[in-house]
Amino acid sequence: MDLNPWLDRTKLVVCVGAGGVGKTTTAAAIALRGALSGRRTMVLTIDPARRLANSLGLDQFGNREARIDLSGMEGVKPGGELWAMMLDARSTFDALIHRVAPSDEVRERILANHVYRHMADTFAGSQDYMASEKIYDVAALGTYDLLVLDTPPVKNALDFLESPGRLVNFLDERVLSWFLDGSRSSRGGMMFGTSKVVFYLLGRVFGEQFIDDLSQFFRDFEGLYEGFRKRHQEVLDMFRAPTTQFVTVCAPSESSVDVASFFLSEFERRALPCGGIIVNQVHACSGQTHDAESVLGATARSLGGDLPPAVAASVVARLGMAHRRLHTLAMADHALARGLKSRYSGRLPGFFQEVPRMEDEVHDLPSLREVGRALFDQDAAPLSS
Amino acid sequence: MDAGVMTGLLKSSKLIMVTGKGGTGKTTFACALALLGARLGRRTVLCEIDNQRPSCGAVFGRVPRFEPVDVLPNLSLSNIEFTGSLEGFIEQMVPMPRVVRLVLENKMVHRFLDFTPGSRELVIMSRLGALCDQNDLVVVDMPASGHAFSLLDILRSARGLFRSGPVRAHAEHLTERLRAATSRLVFVALPEEMVVNETLETMDRMAAASLIGGPPVVLLNRATLPSLTTDERSLLARLAEQPLDPVAREFVRAGRWEDRLEQATKTSVDRLRERFGHEPPLIPPAGGGGVPREIVTTVAVHLGRQVGLTRREVQWT
Repeated sequence: MDLNPWLDRTKLVVCVGAGGVGKTTTAAAIALRGALSGRRTMVLTIDPARRLANSLGLDQFGNREARIDLSGMEGVKPGGELWAMMLDARSTFDALIHRVAPSDEVRERILANHVYRHMADTFAGSQDYMASEKIYDVAALGTYDLLVLDTPPVKNALDFLESPGRLVNFLDERVLSWFLDGSRSSRGGMMFGTSKVVFYLLGRVFGEQFIDDLSQFFRDFEGLYEGFRKRHQEVLDMFRAPTTQFVTVCAPSESSVDVASFFLSEFERRALPCGGIIVNQVHACSGQTHDAESVLGATARSLGGDLPPAVAASVVARLGMAHRRLHTLAMADHALARGLKSRYSGRLPGFFQEVPRMEDEVHDLPSLREVGRALFDQDAAPLSS
Repeated sequence: MDAGVMTGLLKSSKLIMVTGKGGTGKTTFACALALLGARLGRRTVLCEIDNQRPSCGAVFGRVPRFEPVDVLPNLSLSNIEFTGSLEGFIEQMVPMPRVVRLVLENKMVHRFLDFTPGSRELVIMSRLGALCDQNDLVVVDMPASGHAFSLLDILRSARGLFRSGPVRAHAEHLTERLRAATSRLVFVALPEEMVVNETLETMDRMAAASLIGGPPVVLLNRATLPSLTTDERSLLARLAEQPLDPVAREFVRAGRWEDRLEQATKTSVDRLRERFGHEPPLIPPAGGGGVPREIVTTVAVHLGRQVGLTRREVQWT
C-alpha cells in the first residue's frame, strides 16, 4: 500500500498517541513531506512544551504562523511551502469572541470581564478547545492545501473534541437561565426549593463576588450561545470529513501500544476517519545472529594495526554484545508491532506502518526528511485485509 | 554519586510530585519512590491524578480507587478521581451531610464546576492536601511537564478569580502547602537532547512561578555512561568509514548507536547537573519488553542503595 496517494487526497491529518513516541516529529515529517510534494502545508501544535519548534530546528515560535525556510532542501516541488504554528489559547479565544459577539459593546464587556480573563487563560481544556477552534479557522481560510495537527499527550481520550461540547453544554439556554434566575433571585424572589439552597451555597463557597462576576459574564454571553453552538457543529463536521484522517502513533512499548489501542477504539466509537497506525522508533536488525569475530575480527585487526593489539579484540567483543542487544530489542519490538497489527486487521480501515529508530535524534529538516522517507517510500500494510 | 539527594528526598519530604516529558518513565519512578518511602517506614500513599485508566495498578496488583487501598505494609494507592474529590471538597466547605448530598446531586452544580475555570483542578488539589494530612508521604504521578505546570499554576489563578469566600481561603492554604520546603518536584529525564531541553524549560517555568518550596530533583533514566576508550572509539570510527558487507555494517551500526547513547548520557548529566545543582542519579536501561512490576523493582533496588536499603528490603512478592 503506497501512502503517497493517501497523503495527496488528505487535507487534515490529526496525530494522536502517548507522550514520548515521536508524535510531534511524525507530524512535522508528514507536513514536510506534503510541502516537498508541492503543497502549501501548515503544522500546528497544541503542546504547551516547545517540542515542535525543537524538532523543526527553530528556537521558538508563537501563535503567529512561522514559515520554515526550505531553501536548503533539494527537490521541493513548485508551490511547496512549510508553515508552523503553536497555539496561544488566549488570543484564539479573544478572536472567537470578536467573531461571535452581537455588538461592539457586548464584545468589549466580555473581554474586560474578570471571569472571562481568567477563563481564557486557565479554563480546563481551553488549550484543547482553542486548538480545534484555530484549526477550523485555518482550514476555513483555505490558504493551506494540507494541515497537520499534533495533539498533546493526554491519556484521557480526545479531549480536544469534547471540550467545545463542554462549553456549549454550559451555555445551553436552560442552564444559563437557571443560573441567571438564581442570581437575580438570590436576593429574594423567583427561585424555590432545592435550586435556591444550592444557589445560596454556591455563593457561600465560591464567594458572592465571584457569583456576581459570573452572572455578569453569563448575561453578556447569552446572545453568543447560538454562534458557539453553530461553530462547534462546524468544527465537528470538519473532523468527520472524509478528507480528514486520524493517525495514531506509538512506540514499540507496552504502555504506548496500550494508549494506541485506546485511541483506535475511540475512532470506532466516535466514527472518526481512521487513517492508520504508525509504530515509530522500531529497532531494526536483520534478524540474524553471528559470531562477531568471524564477521569483523580480521577487518578490525587490520584497521587497528597502529593501536595496541587489545583494542581490536575489545572493540570486536563490544560490537558483538551491542549487536546481540540490538537483536533482542528488535525481536521484542517486532513481536509487539505484530500483535497490534493483528488486533486491528479487518476491524479498521487504514494503513499499518513501521518506522525504524533513526540513528541520531531528529531535530532538523534533513532528519525529518529521513523520517518522511521511512514513512512514505516503503509500502505500508493495509489494515483492511 | 550524590547519595544526599535521595536521602533528603525520601526521608524528609512530605509531598513528592513526579513529572517529566511523556515516555520518560514517570509512572515507574513514582511507583519506585513510593515503594522506597514505605520501606523506610513512612506511611506512604501513591496517587494518580484522575486517570481513567490507572497504570500503577499493574505494578502492585490492585486497581487504585478513590479511597486508598493498602497494597504493602505502609503503602497504599489512590486514584484522585474528580467525583470522589468533589464530595470531600464540598464536605469541607459545607459541614452538613444532607446538604452535601443535595449539592452533589444537583446537575447544575456539575455544569457550574465543568465551566468554572480551574475548579476541577482545585478540587483535585484539595484532595491531595487531605491525603498529605493523613500520611507521612504522598507521591504523585503527575501529568507530563506542561500539563503538570498548568495543574499547579491553577492555584495562582484561583486566587485571582475567587476574591472572597472559603474557596479563596482554601486556595491560599494549598498554595502555602506547595511552597513548604517539604514539597518537592522530581523530574524524570532521558539522555536525549529534546528531553533535557523540555526538562530544563519546565524547571525554569516552575521556578519563575515560585510554585514549589523544596529544591527540584532530576533523575536520569536509561542512562549509560561512556565505556569506550579513545583508542576503541577511533577504531570504531575507522570501521564505520570502511566499505563493509551488510552483516558487518549492522554490527558497527549497533556499536555506534550504543556509543552515541553513552555520549548523550554524559552531555545530559553535565547540563542537568549545572542547572539542578546536584549529580542526577542514573538508572540504567531496563532492556526490551519488560514487565512493569519488574522494571519498578529494578529501579527501586537501584535507588534504594542510595538510602541504605538492600535488595532484600526493597523487593516484594
